[in-house]
Amino acid sequence: MDFPQNISMEEAFALAEAEAKLEAALQESRNRFTNARIPDRLNEDWRFGRPHQYATALAELLQGDTPSQGEASVLHAGAAAVPVSAADEDLKQTEMLMPTIGSDALLGLHLQRFGSGYALYIEEDTAEPIHLHYKTAGFYTPSTFIMVAPGVKAQVVEHHEGLSENAVLFATRNIQVAEGAELKLQLHSSCMQRYLCITDIQNMGGKVSQLTRHENHAWAREETVAEIYAPGSDIQLFSANLPTSSVLDQHTRQIHHTGGATSNLLYKNVLDGTATATFAGNIYVAPGAHHTDAYQSNRNLLLSEDATVNSLPGLEILADKVRCSHGSATAPVNEEQLFYLLSRGIPRDEAISLLAQGFIDDVIEKFNN
Amino acid sequence: MDESTFQMDTRGAFSMPENHKFDAGYGLTEETIDYICDAKGEPDWLRQFRKDALRKFNEMPMPYHWAPEGIRNVDFENFRYYLSHGATPSRSWDEVPDDMKRTFERLGVPEQERAFLAGVDAQYDSETAYTNMREELQKQGVIFVNSTEGLKEYEHIFRPWFGKVIPVGDNKFSALNHAAFSGGSFIYVPKGVKLTQPLQAYFRINSESMGQFERTLIIADEGAELMYMEGCTAPQYDSATLHSGVVELVALKGAKIQYVTVQNWSTNVYNLVIQRGLAMEDAEIRWIDCNLGSGLTMKYPAVVLQGRRARGEVVSISLAHSGQLQDTGARMIHAAPETTSNIVAKSISIGEGRASYRGEVKVLKGMAGCKNNTECDALLINAASRTDTYPAITVKGNASAVQHEASVSQVDEEMLFYLQQRGLTRAQAMSLAVNGFINDLVKEFPMEYSVELRRLIDLEMEDSIG
Repeated sequence: MDFPQNISMEEAFALAEAEAKLEAALQESRNRFTNARIPDRLNEDWRFGRPHQYATALAELLQGDTPSQGEASVLHAGAAAVPVSAADEDLKQTEMLMPTIGSDALLGLHLQRFGSGYALYIEEDTAEPIHLHYKTAGFYTPSTFIMVAPGVKAQVVEHHEGLSENAVLFATRNIQVAEGAELKLQLHSSCMQRYLCITDIQNMGGKVSQLTRHENHAWAREETVAEIYAPGSDIQLFSANLPTSSVLDQHTRQIHHTGGATSNLLYKNVLDGTATATFAGNIYVAPGAHHTDAYQSNRNLLLSEDATVNSLPGLEILADKVRCSHGSATAPVNEEQLFYLLSRGIPRDEAISLLAQGFIDDVIEKFNN
Repeated sequence: MDESTFQMDTRGAFSMPENHKFDAGYGLTEETIDYICDAKGEPDWLRQFRKDALRKFNEMPMPYHWAPEGIRNVDFENFRYYLSHGATPSRSWDEVPDDMKRTFERLGVPEQERAFLAGVDAQYDSETAYTNMREELQKQGVIFVNSTEGLKEYEHIFRPWFGKVIPVGDNKFSALNHAAFSGGSFIYVPKGVKLTQPLQAYFRINSESMGQFERTLIIADEGAELMYMEGCTAPQYDSATLHSGVVELVALKGAKIQYVTVQNWSTNVYNLVIQRGLAMEDAEIRWIDCNLGSGLTMKYPAVVLQGRRARGEVVSISLAHSGQLQDTGARMIHAAPETTSNIVAKSISIGEGRASYRGEVKVLKGMAGCKNNTECDALLINAASRTDTYPAITVKGNASAVQHEASVSQVDEEMLFYLQQRGLTRAQAMSLAVNGFINDLVKEFPMEYSVELRRLIDLEMEDSIG
């Protein structure tokens, strides 16, 4: 390694030590990809996720000859945006170290196709939201990197769009937020036959809020890991979806490596037709991460008798002085509210759709505030 | 922690010399099963049944993909599968062999029986040593015997339900129990008979490396009501012991069953128990579960709500101190419309103890008007304590409502300060707070158990806060 000029002995040692740690982590990651199995029914993180159907098909596609093809574009980013190139070893290493929720094998295959997408190095406040678009009619495997510098306020909106019935998109997102920074992040994905998005948010003392919305997919899986590395960090995760005849599989982890921080999650789904939604969340409070506040809530509104909800909210608390709670509720439309609308002459279908919209809007309002 | 300081363990933490007429040795093979069948004089169909179950047990994988790590240490070769003095239990206290009698006397069985129980079944290692039931109940047609006798004398009632609630292939430990079962109770309460006093069983593991595989089947016929309590103890040995029981409850139309367990095994016991009840129309099944002992407990009492308006409830308290993992929870399967269920689970982790809640609630397709409510609360006493919650909720269709809530908290410093300011020691204040935390659940337990539980918590607090 080339050490910078004019540094003291201690600094040089510290750098060398950091270098050794990174090398060890990378080695561990390489082993992780070698040992990982394509998700199957023994993979608890794919419980209710029908891995034989979806993970296997995606793995076959990743291992096959179909090239990764798609269009990446960015708006209002100025100098902050840099296209990801296959030769960028630093970014590739960052992706290698990303945690997944049961999909290590798939991430390993994604890495073999590394070299598309955008990296955003945000060093100034954004005047208007940066928009990032990934579009594909075939099979696309982009990577997003967002780094927000200390004290910077930024807004990013990411769009993942399918252009044909057979579109398959597998995206990874790596987000790092420095101390005192604020990031408002939106992810809109739509119209894919298969969609997998693995996100890792690393918060080093800033504020991050994320809203994800998934629309019109035949199958979509979201894996979001939110990691807290410094006191004073705050992470807010939101999701609002109206799947109708599709499979939506959402997995989240709120990991508190250090104490004195807060995290909050609210995922709401309205299910109609033959839709199936699975939510599996987990709050992990590491040993010693005292004075943590963490909340997690999953709410589901069922509109049809053929819809299915699986909800697995989890907690793992290994520290003291922790305030933690989670809740999950699943119910049909409130009869009283429906009656109120009907009695004012609103047709049944419209009334239900109003109530569903109201149910979801609550999340979007919370995100906007 | 000094085991001798608390009451319940003092009662269990002694052992009597081993003196067995039958000993099937270590490990489980077809020969072991032949030995057990011969010793118990079982019919051929049962021998074949056990062997089929053994084959299933060997074929099935361990649930490593979800079970807690500690289960990897279970080595089936190192257990003894059948130890007994003989398969026929004594009917009168005087006939019980002296060393067993001393054991049960130390555990307080005869006094408890005289005081308030309708019947007692005391199991010592593999077989029931003593069964007794009040005469007036016998006249009403109530059956309360051990499972061996149940299969022999009441095959026409026992066999149709045997393995129906928990089938052989349900999981690896169910197959194990079907292959090696011995002891446990068989209870039948006829139509409309309501027992006012509880029936009770004591389970005692006395021998080293013992595997206890009791099998309990309780059938409450239409409109019948009963309460059943079990208590478990074992001495502390160097080698591990295994307790893998199967408990099946059948509540026919309008029947009510309450099943109370207070488990205080020593910490080298693996407590891997399957408990499941079948509730028919308008029936009610309540599991009241208290886990204090054992090193690793995996226990998720379940109710399959099979008939319209059936009701299921699980009330669970677990206490995990250093070296213990209490992986407990509940399962509710709503397989009929308008069924309701309620789960209240509270856990306390002390020192390096770990308490987990693992649960499953399922509303099957087309079931309208089902309701479930789940509450899990965890209390962490020390900085190194751990608690987890892993619920899984599945709802199919838009006609049912399910809610789940869990919270984790510590004892409020202000509350402790307030109490200490009024002259209580920190341990007393802590104990008061912890007792307050589980107070509403303790009320569900029979009186002497709740008194004992409170006393135990006092002592635990003195040890960990002192």
